[in-house]
Amino acid sequence: MERTFFEWVGYILGHYGSWFLEGTAITLLISLLGTIIGFLIGLGLGSAKKLPRSSSKIKNFFLMILNGLITCYVEIFRGTPMMVQAIVIYFGMQEFMGISFSPTIAGIIIVSINTGAYMVEVVRGGIESVDPGQMEAAKSIGMSHGQAMIYVILPQTIKNILPATGNEFIINIKDTSVLNVISVTELFFVTKSIKGAIFRTYETFIVAALIYFVLTLTVTRLLKMLEKRMDGSKEFVHASSTMPILFLKKPGEKNGK
Amino acid sequence: MENNLIEIKNLKKSFGKINVLKGIDFSIKKGDVSCIIGPSGSGKSTFLRCINLLDYPTSGEILYKGENVLKNNYNVDFYRSKVGMVFQQFNLFNNMNVLDNCTIGQVKVLKKDYNSAKENALKFLEKVQMSKFIEAKPSQLSGGQKQRVAIARALSMDSEILLFDEPTSALDPETVGEVLKVMKDLAQSGLTMIIVTHEMAFAREVSNKIVFMDDGIICEQGKPEEILVNPKNERTKNFLFRFIVGESG
Ligand SMILES: Nc1ncnc2c1ncn2[C@@H]1O[C@H](COP(=O)(O)OP(=O)(O)OP(=O)(O)O)[C@@H](O)[C@H]1O
Ligand SMILES: [Mg+2]
Repeated sequence: MERTFFEWVGYILGHYGSWFLEGTAITLLISLLGTIIGFLIGLGLGSAKKLPRSSSKIKNFFLMILNGLITCYVEIFRGTPMMVQAIVIYFGMQEFMGISFSPTIAGIIIVSINTGAYMVEVVRGGIESVDPGQMEAAKSIGMSHGQAMIYVILPQTIKNILPATGNEFIINIKDTSVLNVISVTELFFVTKSIKGAIFRTYETFIVAALIYFVLTLTVTRLLKMLEKRMDGSKEFVHASSTMPILFLKKPGEKNGK
Repeated sequence: MENNLIEIKNLKKSFGKINVLKGIDFSIKKGDVSCIIGPSGSGKSTFLRCINLLDYPTSGEILYKGENVLKNNYNVDFYRSKVGMVFQQFNLFNNMNVLDNCTIGQVKVLKKDYNSAKENALKFLEKVQMSKFIEAKPSQLSGGQKQRVAIARALSMDSEILLFDEPTSALDPETVGEVLKVMKDLAQSGLTMIIVTHEMAFAREVSNKIVFMDDGIICEQGKPEEILVNPKNERTKNFLFRFIVGESG
């Protein structure tokens, strides 16, 4: 029996739609969690890189070592393909440490560590792009370095690096495909399996390509919206000077407690 | 003297090989206003930044209420919260609205509860006539408005003394007046202030003491009339002469 291209696509979706759905879910799960965890790694280590020198020599020595370690981490994970990292970490952990994870958990770990390496530099750049006057003003009202980072510098940094983070997310959606080497049942792995079952390479992968494209396109749009919302409205409410203090609310606070 | 709020002895600061401050002696009593004048690059900003330790002095002493703040284990963050600073570029926290700018330090540094911090902030925002703008973000304000909020932010910390580094130099000419007016009121209310400024008329009006700095040292200091009208030091004379010629020409 001869099917046309569209008939094949219809056949694949009809019979293997749920496979694709599951693969897509795994791909999204790994890339989303990987991006979030990687973002947090980047935030932590990027801030650590910007710790001020202290007057104590011993502290400075440890700062130097910490800096060196972070640099090694960044260089190694940016300088090797994620596919190789996946194999080395997944099988390395099993063989030398006797730790075995499910492939999905391993996938999340690998994508997180890999994204973290990229985010360290993004965060460092983001911190440096905040006007130094902000840190000075924070210090001048008595904030410690940590307080200044948490309340003043990092909120502005995060706003600055949101586009780069979204970009990482999109890259991750596509790059989780390399995790098929450790048998993570993400979209690419599932696609290969379906192809193996029906021997239709072209039609099967066209469906996969479409799904990847819809995913990345949707995420791009969502991120654009989020960025717009973060920019906030251009207007503000004039408070009447006679308004009793009790009625003034802190933004985000439900009622003035 | 016993009742000096801040007393500075032989303060030196160098950046690498460059000696910027070359031995400064200075003191200020509670309620006094000192204005620092001098040519560009003479070290005025560096001096102010050394006073609240944004730049750490290379040597010398800074006595705050008789205690040397440069000694080991001195609580620098606490000291900074008592010595407020108003910057040329305002430096309001861009991620916060006007009210939060004035409460964050009280809540996080002074550990006040939010409501009393808010009450205190509103009192000072009222004083600088910015209480209508509590919801505004810094990017929505004019330069003069930002600077008045910056002053309220410093005051909200119940600072003992305020340092001003050319607070009107980045402002449009129309808004300079509103900031100077606020500062005059503060001077009259008895706030201790050290002000780096090029506004000579203002300096003469508000200060008890004018300090002329050049090339990392204090060349001359004294009552405004003495320094501005009858300077003894050659360098002071030259500076004021050039200043007057420059202003009218
Ligand atoms: N962080 C720094 N590193 C190196 N040199 C510096 C630093 N900060 C200031 N200087 C130098 O110290 C000198 C004094 O600078 P400062 O900013 O204190 O002068 P100023 O009197 O405030 O001048 P202006 O009126 O232009 O503001 C200048 O020569 C400047 O180049
Ligand atoms: Mg200066």
